Amino acid sequence: MQQAYHLEQELTLLDPGRIRLIRDELTDLILEYRGERQTVTAHRAFPLTATGQFIVLKNVDGVEIGAIRDIATLDEESRDVLETDLERTYFAPVILQVNRLEENFHVPKWDVETDRGHRVFEVRSRRRDIRVMSEGRILLRDADGNRYEIPDYRKLDPVSRAFVETLI
Amino acid sequence: MATSPYPASGALIRDELPEAVLSHLNNLLGPREELLLSATTDLRFDGSYGPAWLVATGQRLIGISPSESGRYETLGIPLAEVTRVEVRELFGSGVLKIRTKKSGASLAFFTKTLLSKFSPVPSQIERLIRQAKPVPEDAQISDSSVDGFAGRKKRCERCQQVIPHWMGVCPMCLDSRRLLFRLLGYAKPYWQMAVGSLLLLLTATFIGLTPPLLMRTLIDDVLVADTGGSLPAASLIPAEPRSSVPRSQAPAPPSGMDKPTMLAVLVLLLLLVNVSRNGLSAVRTYLLAKLGQRITFDLRKEVYRHLHHLSLSFYNERETGRIMSNVTQDVSRLQDFISDGLQEIIRDIATIVIICIILFSLNPALAAFVLMPTPLLILFTRYFGRRLHDLYHGLWRRWADIHALLADTIPGVRVVKAFAQEKREVSKFENRSWGLLSGEIRVARVRSTFTPIMTFLTSLGTLIIWWMGGNKVLGGTLSLGEFVAFTGYMWQFYGPVESLCRLNHRFQRAATSAERIFEVLDTQSDVAERPGANAMPRISGSVEFAGVTFSYEPGKPILKDLNFRVEPGEMIGLAGHSGAGKSTLINLICRFYDIQEGDILVDDRDIRDVSLKSLRAQIGVVLQDPFLFNGSVAENIAYGKPGATLDEIVAAAKAANAHDFILDFPEGYDTPVGERGLRVSGGERQRLSIARAILRNPRILILDEATASVDTETEAQIQDAIARLIEGRTTFAIAHRLSTLKNANRLLILDKGELAEIGTHDELIQRDGIYARLCRMQTEMSRLRAW
Repeated sequence: MQQAYHLEQELTLLDPGRIRLIRDELTDLILEYRGERQTVTAHRAFPLTATGQFIVLKNVDGVEIGAIRDIATLDEESRDVLETDLERTYFAPVILQVNRLEENFHVPKWDVETDRGHRVFEVRSRRRDIRVMSEGRILLRDADGNRYEIPDYRKLDPVSRAFVETLI
Repeated sequence: MATSPYPASGALIRDELPEAVLSHLNNLLGPREELLLSATTDLRFDGSYGPAWLVATGQRLIGISPSESGRYETLGIPLAEVTRVEVRELFGSGVLKIRTKKSGASLAFFTKTLLSKFSPVPSQIERLIRQAKPVPEDAQISDSSVDGFAGRKKRCERCQQVIPHWMGVCPMCLDSRRLLFRLLGYAKPYWQMAVGSLLLLLTATFIGLTPPLLMRTLIDDVLVADTGGSLPAASLIPAEPRSSVPRSQAPAPPSGMDKPTMLAVLVLLLLLVNVSRNGLSAVRTYLLAKLGQRITFDLRKEVYRHLHHLSLSFYNERETGRIMSNVTQDVSRLQDFISDGLQEIIRDIATIVIICIILFSLNPALAAFVLMPTPLLILFTRYFGRRLHDLYHGLWRRWADIHALLADTIPGVRVVKAFAQEKREVSKFENRSWGLLSGEIRVARVRSTFTPIMTFLTSLGTLIIWWMGGNKVLGGTLSLGEFVAFTGYMWQFYGPVESLCRLNHRFQRAATSAERIFEVLDTQSDVAERPGANAMPRISGSVEFAGVTFSYEPGKPILKDLNFRVEPGEMIGLAGHSGAGKSTLINLICRFYDIQEGDILVDDRDIRDVSLKSLRAQIGVVLQDPFLFNGSVAENIAYGKPGATLDEIVAAAKAANAHDFILDFPEGYDTPVGERGLRVSGGERQRLSIARAILRNPRILILDEATASVDTETEAQIQDAIARLIEGRTTFAIAHRLSTLKNANRLLILDKGELAEIGTHDELIQRDGIYARLCRMQTEMSRLRAW
């Protein structure tokens, strides 16, 4: 089977063994790689489906330096730094319980308990802002663009579950 | 390799000639001239309908046509002089043209009905010519018939009826009565459920019919027994019929039982009847509904799967809206019928039969009278049924029209706005909507006369009972209880009859939908896999066209006798005027259609000998207006290779220069592209479709105007991606902008379906043909633009 070229050669993967990520006083992310030290930003290529894979690092000019294929391959310290940074960037509290769900003019108002505390938000469009993924996973975006996640609505308590099911 | 379904070597046409023509011919022909070919046409030389004839002997061709004077007009051409024979499809008819060195002649005219009959004639005549004078193979005799057009049947093979263009199956040969049975065939996997619910249905119906009998016992044996004792109640009628049914339900009161006890027993029985009847029908409603849903689920699945098996020509002939209505509306109508309609029909029929039995065992004479209006009822139902069927057919068409209009206009709304044609579109919709309205009103009119007539007819039965039954009670031949029971059954009897009549239209509606669904299911794909076609192994990528002729419609060949060979890894640029057949050529490589003549060989194997899946798995296509499906970016890139790893997806996107803009989306590769990919821009869409093609790692790559609709900078990026993509693959690229083809190894110039030029850029420039002219024009244009 001859192949013109291997697709994989297109990838610019970073060697996880040589990566060291640190956070400086201004909570910028600093990458030390092969003796170079620079400020970077981290982006998830698959923020919804594969949060721990393909973390793309870009320099301050927005030019890609390379990708970390799997966050688990980093050393513990760098992983902590990166995960904290990503979690802040991709802030999406997990909804633990739905207290109330009211609809006014087809705009549902959610009153929920999240892992970050109590929150009330409104969702504008059922089609665009509520994404039902496989395995009962639901991603929500409120009217202001904030994101929330329900890892598996089938595992919520019956009342919350009944609320959610009216909207999906 | 002759693979056309009508080989050119078929027998010569020999139609019977009338006596008069034969004798006329006898005068013409020489003593040793023998008739070899004779074909009856349906147009005369003067253009009027009527038989005319084309005959051929070993020496000449003769056209014979009756003239107005009753004599025969004759046109003869010696075979030896013929240089070209062809069947031409004209605007409204067909003609057989003969060319000699000096002139041309039309020897036969015919309507398009006979087009398929005459299309093999040129090659037959050519054979006669070869037999007459052995000519070298490269002689100038050529026929250009369009025989072997099997793609689309216009007439039914069995009954010669015209087949509606959107059907593909003869509606006449479709037995409507068999539709129901065929539909029931889908119930087979669930037969236990079906039989169970049927038994429940019958039991419940039977139990539901006992109250009037209880009523009779109540009146005759409990309420009026004292006074009625003097009446010879039922004494004339043998006790046997009375005891057969009622006693089994309500046991004969033992003489010892006093009346209050009997009353209590009867009331309890009635309670029992009602409880069990309703309980049973709850269970059976659920069961039947479930059955109906299962059947329609299977049907919907099958229709959709079949739609995907059909070839592109099926879609070319139908509007998208119509096909969608097949999958949704027609199937849901069937579901409505199976889960509601069907059980009502069965219940009603069972009710009618049971009541008939009871009535006749109660009092046969009276029963006969009561049922008298029934035949009338049935007659009317049948009459209205037919009317309604036609009307519903029309209604369905109008609905489909509206669907088609919506599917057409809504996606094109930008064009509508750009040309400020909203008003026209609205009035177009209004027109069709009005058509629907008038159709619905017509249906309402028929139904509004239908129902009152039916109600009136059923009331006749009551009149009869009152009169006849009343007289009998007065005369003492009928007990009061029996009279009451009769009246009760009467009402229960006409109820089902009436509802059967009302159900009729639902049935018609369902039958129409069933017809249409089965029509789709019965339509065969005309790009069928040969039995025993095996998978094509991974190819190296050579493509050869050998004498390929193709037409979408008979008589209008799009590609004519194409011969060329492309080596593995070569990049071929396809150029030519619009409509020259470039896209058609590409459709043929993908085998979206089957060719009529010649062979297409991939890696020296006929593409008709390998399975479609294995062929298309090795072909990657990038179209001018790439279609993305509603899903995430990653899902769309992996469309051609389900289960692709994240590595592959990201690598493909990088190769297509798409990675950077994907990362700029907040949701990265998980960004939804929206329906048809409308949420990403044209250039982005194009690069995603290139990534999709790259991920498949195809051996043959097809680029159909891949950069036509993007700006120059994006084009540069796309070109860059394409340059990487074509490495080591056989590539066919169509482009109007010839600069796009600068990487091509060779250029293939099509002109009106024929291969005009083939060669490298330099060769073709030197040749100073079509390509050179196109090049000059484009340089001219760009100079103008630059200036």
